[in-house]
Amino acid sequence: MLNSNLPERDEKQPDPTAVKRALRSFELNAWLAVTTAVYLVTLFLVRHHPDWSPWLKITLALTPILPGLLYLRNGLQLLRGMDELQRRIQLEAWLFAALGTVVVSTIINVVNVHGLGGNWLPHGLEVGGTYLTMFLLWCVGVTIANCRYR
Amino acid sequence: MKNRLRELRAERQWSQGELAEKLEVSRQTINAIETEKYDPSLPLAFKISLLFKQPLERIFVPEA
Repeated sequence: MLNSNLPERDEKQPDPTAVKRALRSFELNAWLAVTTAVYLVTLFLVRHHPDWSPWLKITLALTPILPGLLYLRNGLQLLRGMDELQRRIQLEAWLFAALGTVVVSTIINVVNVHGLGGNWLPHGLEVGGTYLTMFLLWCVGVTIANCRYR
Repeated sequence: MKNRLRELRAERQWSQGELAEKLEVSRQTINAIETEKYDPSLPLAFKISLLFKQPLERIFVPEA
């Protein structure tokens, strides 16, 4: 249970758990980049080739799900490897992102209902905008939580 | 909740990183506990108690 026979270490050496976490985080972001790239390529192909068979277009449209699933798997592995404070930071960041996205989405809808938004986001955030808002607010949430527990 | 973690660590001349490694948590967690910004879970509190060979109530003291 306790790892009490470890050799003494110099404080200036990098924290091995932090290095491991950073590597896993890099891998996670790499899968997100791959997912985004595959999504953009397949979107381009489907939109510019209306003559292709529907089955091929459906297959192409669903292709980003594969790297997306690998991204989710890596995310879960990262979460499992975290200690309790890191998990709390992530939980607070996700809560902040989810609530923030609800607030942003509600504001845009209210503005549109009263006809004050003009042509700015006439259909609300939509799927891409929702994910982007959540991601940006998650970054803010992680930064705030890290500052709080520093 | 107040705690004597920094004091106990200093007695043994362990760095925060070393204590973090012994408890299998991050250095940030040790720092947050020592600065009383974060209260550890019960399993981690017991790990700390076991490592320092002291009862929980001698390490963690509830604020009045």
